[in-house]
Parts: sequence; structure tokens; C-alpha cells
Amino acid sequence: MWFFRSPRIVFGEDSLSFLSMVESRRFLIVTDRYLSGTDILKKVKTALPTGSETMVFSNIGSEPLLSEITSDMDSIYRFEPEIIIGLGGGSSIDAAKIIYALYEKPGLSAFDITPMDNFGMGSRSRLVAIPTTSGTGSECSWAAVFTDDNEKRKNEVASPEILPDYAILDPDLVLDLPRAQTVNTAVDAITHAVESYVSQWNNLYSDILAEKAISLITPNLLRVISDPHDFSARESVHIGSSMAGLSFSNSQIGLAHALGHAMGAYFGIPHGKTVGLYLPEVVRYNRRKAGPRYDNLNKLFPKKFISSTLDLTLRNYFREIGQPTQIKDIPVQKSDYESKISDMKDLASQSTGILTNPEEADSTALEMLLRSVI
Amino acid sequence: MDTKIYLMALLNTYMAKFPSDEWVKLYCDKLNANQKYADAGKNWEGDIVFVVEKDDSLPQDEHIYLDLYHGKCRSAKYIHTGEEVPKSEFSYKGKYGNWRKLMAGQIDPIQGILTGKFRLDGSKMKIMRFTSAAKEMVNTASMVETEF
Ligand SMILES: [Fe+2]
Repeated sequence: MWFFRSPRIVFGEDSLSFLSMVESRRFLIVTDRYLSGTDILKKVKTALPTGSETMVFSNIGSEPLLSEITSDMDSIYRFEPEIIIGLGGGSSIDAAKIIYALYEKPGLSAFDITPMDNFGMGSRSRLVAIPTTSGTGSECSWAAVFTDDNEKRKNEVASPEILPDYAILDPDLVLDLPRAQTVNTAVDAITHAVESYVSQWNNLYSDILAEKAISLITPNLLRVISDPHDFSARESVHIGSSMAGLSFSNSQIGLAHALGHAMGAYFGIPHGKTVGLYLPEVVRYNRRKAGPRYDNLNKLFPKKFISSTLDLTLRNYFREIGQPTQIKDIPVQKSDYESKISDMKDLASQSTGILTNPEEADSTALEMLLRSVI
Repeated sequence: MDTKIYLMALLNTYMAKFPSDEWVKLYCDKLNANQKYADAGKNWEGDIVFVVEKDDSLPQDEHIYLDLYHGKCRSAKYIHTGEEVPKSEFSYKGKYGNWRKLMAGQIDPIQGILTGKFRLDGSKMKIMRFTSAAKEMVNTASMVETEF
């Protein structure tokens, strides 16, 4: 027995206008400090039904502390939103999930959000995710990441009840995404698809979404890099990324995420860059268990990058798009990196990615993989 | 002695009924001998009760108490009928039939919770940081030659 869970997905050109069809009138928009001053927020506000009341909460940075996310809960309780919109990258959408959970269940601690409990959320509001990057998959997942104020460590919480009710995938909102973020987030999406496809929890639904994600993202990302305003290529990467998100949230991620999270925690490198750093080596490590499945994915890359095995194909592809596979290209100092290997290994060993990775990974294996990128 | 009977007798000396005093002792010993568990559970502190709930094949609920500390099993006890079940930080409950499937590798310990076949009481947040230790605990249980 297993489940397939998905938000209702509104996609394609002009999909933001879906908001005007919503019956509700009280909208809370959770977004980051940067987006709050841009046209994107204006576009969303303009799309809301006439006569709507809107509250904007934009106290979200790139790696928000729980205290920041919850800093205005009193005003939010008073405002009584009917719709909570998470607008932005993964951090804003994740913050919206936490705010939604705490608004639905006042008194709940964010740390208590787990998939092992039933909370009965959804009686006061609906959650809508509008991504402005293509890759985190947060709009399709039931997990949220925040930074703990005391330990300064990232916590991932999860519950099917914080899965957004709607995800709106409007390519117009990613047309001006800068190149670095476009690549980082797309690499995250590729990693989601590859890891989900070989996860021990993979299933027929997650499989088909992972395959389609790879075949949509990998050729179209190249077109986006050469012409950032290529609407149809942007749309394909955007939809492909959400398919990858849907795939892993119904299966699981693996070792590249376990290692990438650990590295990100110590070096403050964007998430997509850290998971991509380890992905080729993780694929090589898993080959004994997942070889035939990797071969399926290998065929889906654009022809000129395809090599005999997926790890080599990934290296070719990453070289082309500028995704580093060694720390010197990030850049991170070798001595700094080596001094943190033991800590990173400990952190990685606590990740759920270890549980579902196709090949077992003990502490020796984790250390070997961490050292493989030096 | 007939070879077949001899082999069966030999096998019986290693087989332990689940759950029982013998099974719990073997399990605790195997946990302590398992380097992978020592590794995955090295920061774990907390005791846990396994509750094996009755079903068609088991007439009454059974309990196993485990005191786990820094990757080792400090003590373990099969709770006999009428004995008080010790208070513990965690409990992991499921029907007898599901325990059998768990030990046969047909149910993943975390998926088992997500699909309602097992229930966990205690801090879920803490458990989520030790999913690989949980998995090693199950792997170790499958290493005990078990008779159902
Ligand atoms: Fe990711």
C-alpha cells in the first residue's frame, strides 16, 4: 500500500489569472524581502478578485529562521486569511506551509509537524503555492525546511497536510530568473528526478514523472541558457521541475540530497549546487543496485551528452551548464572543506535520504563520497 | 541419528520464538554486534517498547522493552503476562502479522507508520533524525533466526 499525492495544478501561459476565479476574498501572501519590491508581487495582487483584502508577509530571507517565519502570527490570526499564498522560491513556499500549519492549528509547534500524526488542517484556509523559480519542487511537496534559531541547523518537517491545495505554474514568473538561479534550481530538479527514480520507495507514478521531468528539463534548460526569454523552453523547464518535485515527494530523495544538505549547512552554498556536486559520484556509487534503472534515464538526455553510464552523462551535461562537480569550482577551500568532513558525515547520516537510497551507506561510504569531490 | 532430524534439532537450538525471553536476548546481542547499528544509533539516547498487538495468530498483546544508548542495547526485556510494562520514551506498535512482515522485509519501518500498519508514540521529530538507526534495528531483527 502506498499513496500518490498531488496539489491541483494550474499551468501554462496566464495561469496566474486562475486566482481571479477563486471565491475567497481574504488573501495572505507570504513572500521574500526581494520579491516584495518587484513586479511579480504586483502581478499576483492584480490577479486577485476585485474587492479582495490582502495582507503581505515578506519577512523571509534565503534561509529563514523559524522566528522570522512566525514573527507576525498574531497579525495573521487577526487577519483571518481564507487563502494563504506562498510566492517565491522554496524558502517562501516552505514558510507559507509552516504559517498555514500554525494558522490552522494555533498552539502547534513547527517541530511537531510530522507525517506520523493527523492534525485535521484545512478547516480555516487553503494553501496555494506559486513558484518563481523552476526546481525546488516545494509547490508539489509535503515537506518544509526552516532553520532552527537555537541550533542554527536546518530542519525538515513533513506532513501530507501541508501539501499545497493548488500549485500555479505560470512561466511568466520565471522569465527573468537570473542565469545562476536558473541553473542551480534546474540542477536541483534533475537531482530530484534521478534520486526519486532509484529510491527504495519509487513507484509507477513517481517513475513516469521522473522520466518525463528529465526529458523536459535537460534539452530545454540549454535553450533557456542561450535565450532566457524563450517562453516555451521556460515553460517546459518549469513544468518539468514540478514533475520532478511531484516524483520525489511521492517517492523519496537519496544520498546526493543527504550529502548536499550537510554541505549546504556548513558552507552556505545554494541547495541545487550542493546536491549536483555529489550527484554523479552518488550515481556511480549506486550503480551496483540501480544500474538498469539509471540506464533508462541515461537515454533521455540530449544525444550529444550521452555517455556509457549515467554518471558520465551527468558530468558532460553539468560541464556544459556550469554546474561544478568538484569543490574547487564552487569555490570552497580544500582545507576548510576537509575540516568539516566529520561534521558533514554526521549530519548526512541523519538524513532520510540514507534510508531510501538504493545502496546502503555507512559512515565509511559517506566519508568516501564527501572526499570524492575534493 | 537421521540426518534430517539432526539438522532440525541443530536448527532449533538457534531458533527463538517471537516474542520470547530467548528472542529478546538474541536480538539485544545481535544489536550489540552490529557495527552498522552502532554507527547509525551512536547519538541515540532513549528507551523503546515494541508492542506486538494481538491478531488471529496471537491471542494477547505482547511487549518488549529495549534500553538503547549510544548505538548499544544496554538492556532488553520480554515482558511476561501480568508484569507491568515499563514507561518508555517511545513505543512502536503494530499487529503481530505486520511484525512478521516487517522482519521479512515486506514492510519498511517508516512506510509502515505512514500507511497506518504501525504507530509510533514519542517525539516523531527525534525519530525522523534516526531513520537509518530504525532501519538497522529492523535489519538486525531479521538476522535473528526467528520462529513464529
Ligand atoms: Fe532538492
